[in-house]
Amino acid sequence: MEHSKINVRQLFVLIVLFEHGSAMVIPLGVSAKQDMWIAILLGLALGLLLFLVYERLFHYYPDQPLTSYVTHIVGKPLGKLLAVLYITYFFYIAARVLRDFGELLLTFAYPETPLFVLNVLMAMTVMYSAYKGIEVLARTGELLYTLLQILAVVGFILVIASGVVDLTQLQPVLEEGWKRVWKTVFTETLYVPFGEMIVFTMLFPYLNRPEKARRAAVAGMVLTGINLAIIMAVNTAVLGADAVSRSSFPLLDTIRRIQVAHFLERLDVFFMVALVIGGFFKVSIFFYAGVVGVAHVFGFSNHQRLVYPFGALVLLWSVAMASNYWEHIHEGLKIVTLYLHIPLQIIIPVLLLVIAAIRRRFGSSAK
Amino acid sequence: MLFQWGMGRQKKQINDGVKQEGPDHSGEAADVPQEPMSAELAVNLDIIRQTTGQSSDVVIRRFSLGQERQIKAAIVFVDGLVDEKHVYEFLLTPLLEASFPLSLTEKEWFPWIEQKLAAVGGVKHVVDWEHLFLELFSGETIILLDGVPSAVSASTKGGQYRAIEEPQTQIAVRGPREGFTESLRANTAMIRRRIKNPNLWLETMQIGTVTQTDVAIMYIKGIANDEVIEEVRARLRRIDTDSVLESGYIEQLIEDQTFTTFPTIYHTERPDVVAANLLEGRIAILIQGTPFILIVPALFIQFFQAVEDYYARFDIATALRFLRVLIFFLSLVAPSIYIAATTFHQEMIPTQLVIAIAAQREAVPFPAFVEALIMEVTFEILREAGIRLPRAVGQAVSIVGALVIGEVAINAGFVSSAMVIVVSLTAIASFATPSFAIAISARLIRFGLMFLAAMFGFYGIIMGLLVMILHLCSLRSFGMPYMSPLAPFISTNVGDTLFRIPTWMYRERPRLINQKNIIRQSGDQKPQPPAPTRREKEDGS
Repeated sequence: MEHSKINVRQLFVLIVLFEHGSAMVIPLGVSAKQDMWIAILLGLALGLLLFLVYERLFHYYPDQPLTSYVTHIVGKPLGKLLAVLYITYFFYIAARVLRDFGELLLTFAYPETPLFVLNVLMAMTVMYSAYKGIEVLARTGELLYTLLQILAVVGFILVIASGVVDLTQLQPVLEEGWKRVWKTVFTETLYVPFGEMIVFTMLFPYLNRPEKARRAAVAGMVLTGINLAIIMAVNTAVLGADAVSRSSFPLLDTIRRIQVAHFLERLDVFFMVALVIGGFFKVSIFFYAGVVGVAHVFGFSNHQRLVYPFGALVLLWSVAMASNYWEHIHEGLKIVTLYLHIPLQIIIPVLLLVIAAIRRRFGSSAK
Repeated sequence: MLFQWGMGRQKKQINDGVKQEGPDHSGEAADVPQEPMSAELAVNLDIIRQTTGQSSDVVIRRFSLGQERQIKAAIVFVDGLVDEKHVYEFLLTPLLEASFPLSLTEKEWFPWIEQKLAAVGGVKHVVDWEHLFLELFSGETIILLDGVPSAVSASTKGGQYRAIEEPQTQIAVRGPREGFTESLRANTAMIRRRIKNPNLWLETMQIGTVTQTDVAIMYIKGIANDEVIEEVRARLRRIDTDSVLESGYIEQLIEDQTFTTFPTIYHTERPDVVAANLLEGRIAILIQGTPFILIVPALFIQFFQAVEDYYARFDIATALRFLRVLIFFLSLVAPSIYIAATTFHQEMIPTQLVIAIAAQREAVPFPAFVEALIMEVTFEILREAGIRLPRAVGQAVSIVGALVIGEVAINAGFVSSAMVIVVSLTAIASFATPSFAIAISARLIRFGLMFLAAMFGFYGIIMGLLVMILHLCSLRSFGMPYMSPLAPFISTNVGDTLFRIPTWMYRERPRLINQKNIIRQSGDQKPQPPAPTRREKEDGS
């Protein structure tokens, strides 16, 4: 394991960048129609509860990542199996997010460039960051966080100044009651992005003051949840719930509506900065978690040697996982949620916590 | 006997010469005789002559000491390194006029000479050849007595140096006009004059097995971080090279990472900059023979801070710093943005401009990337020529340069006029960066970004800059993260990065650099208007 440390502020920044990552670009919670912002906030609330489960596990094993305390909880053979399962999951999601961004770039700027070529550049940057380690990624995050905040504020002001925001598009609130909103929460917004906090169980051991983990993470999640709700509410107010649910990248469509003083228009390229940076952090953190996981489970002292083979794997996977964009999105919304997110983000961590708590209570600690 | 000894010595030298042809460079120290000094004056002088190869600038003057007893003595010095008037007036004259007591034993003669030479600066007792030659070639005068197996070195350093002039780099409109010279002593004096404090410590060592160059570390004890001082010492001690001719030699041997285009050690020609850095807890490395002084640890943001920022008021300084970051950014990406915008993202450019650029580019046979590459390389050639050429020829280069980057190039159909604007902007921007060391790294990275822009458009530029930022964040300078206090973020020190807060608000020294003594001034430094006088009060009411 790397002997580096990140501080509380850096953890907060990483969480914010990670959670914004792809969530701000993709249509998030659109099946709740104009109430998607409510669905996001409810997803945040439940996500926080879920996070407390992860945090409790970290509290039991403050110096170990998920892939190594899982063997302490359920024993070696089953633990190793679960660890490998989680590592595969991390790599898979890294590849998925990489694909998301490749598709985004294809759609709005490079229609003639092959997906693979676009992904190579991103994958190489991600590999470089994983090679340099978590400390470097965290510091880079601190620098870019400021940049993204400035962009977000400027973008928000420009959207408002363009006069395209129509708040009546957000009405009627709760048109069909709470049922559809809750359904959206349990099928979409809980897992992406809030349930993905599971990946931070791999990073918590690097924290220099572990007792502050909860505050930083909760602050980061709340900030992100509110931001995402605002973004989706603005998207709805600008485009209308119908257009948002049909769009593949609603935020991009919103930005394209910006038109101020006849010269500030067509700003999508500037916002590509924000999108690419968010995607980079999301892929990097998943990928880094996967690589340290492998190093842990298979006893490599140095994770740097693993970066290039697994980087190539993620790159190829991102291209090969689906034959076109709609297949990719369909898999993401239906199959991945049901067969990956629900068991790996909710069921297994909760079971682990229950077993760990019982072991601790009855003294048969597996230290 | 003397003759035999001399023969033996000659043989030994020949042997040494044979040995030195091999890769073993530790033999260089063997040039200096290892055997103890002789009691006989003639033998000692002979060894000096032999070892220096009868060099004509090594002057040996023999004389007789004292009046009662005729003791043979000699002084040895290197012509040009010593102040000759000083040698004759204050060294030779007192020795010739002295009366040498007969009863003087061997142990007593050094204090006696030391006392006689009170008019000379420093007097040292030298007992082995290695020190003797080091002193001799440092500009000291060596005094040898017959019957004594040791020598005395007297401080007579002198000779010609360049006078103190205005520094050629880091020019400031407001601020002291003096710059460092090639003389180590003059440089340390310039710093001492600014910081009159006994805690300003100076450690000197010789580096370079052949050149024996004086290298000094200077720091303020109690403000500088002891661990960093120890690290600097260790890295300097590690150096085992034959020569040190400029601070660049040392810089490249002690920097944290070689494979980076960014400088991790700061260098300066200005004593006020060194003093300010010492006061922040940094450590200066001074090298004999160069006006460029190294400062460690160096942070990225330091290269954007001009010395005048601290002399000007804070609002102006802050605005200028933002301008400099913009300048650095432009010199990095201006050509790449042109390439990306004309090749991939025409929709970004306002419609009329797009049409104008397209019309200009109609006549140009190259893609934007090749066009930009031609112009950038041409400019780099012109700039290199401008620096290296003798002054007299420089005029010709600038005339030809104006033709190449200008109207004629456009008329010839090589480039579009928009490209000329971009190249000129880049060129001016790279000159406007306050530190040459960081401007030159931007020059290199610019070409990489142009290539990425040609391949991937804006996406390529963003990813290129992202890798650059990752790389910057991974750098360290003597253990300090290069991007601090921005990343890792240290809120108390951010006031002196992109911003410069008013001087009265500078409560603390940079955190990571020094850890103990962080308070630099009291918290009540805000200038206040005087209290209203009674008269004013009465008038007001």
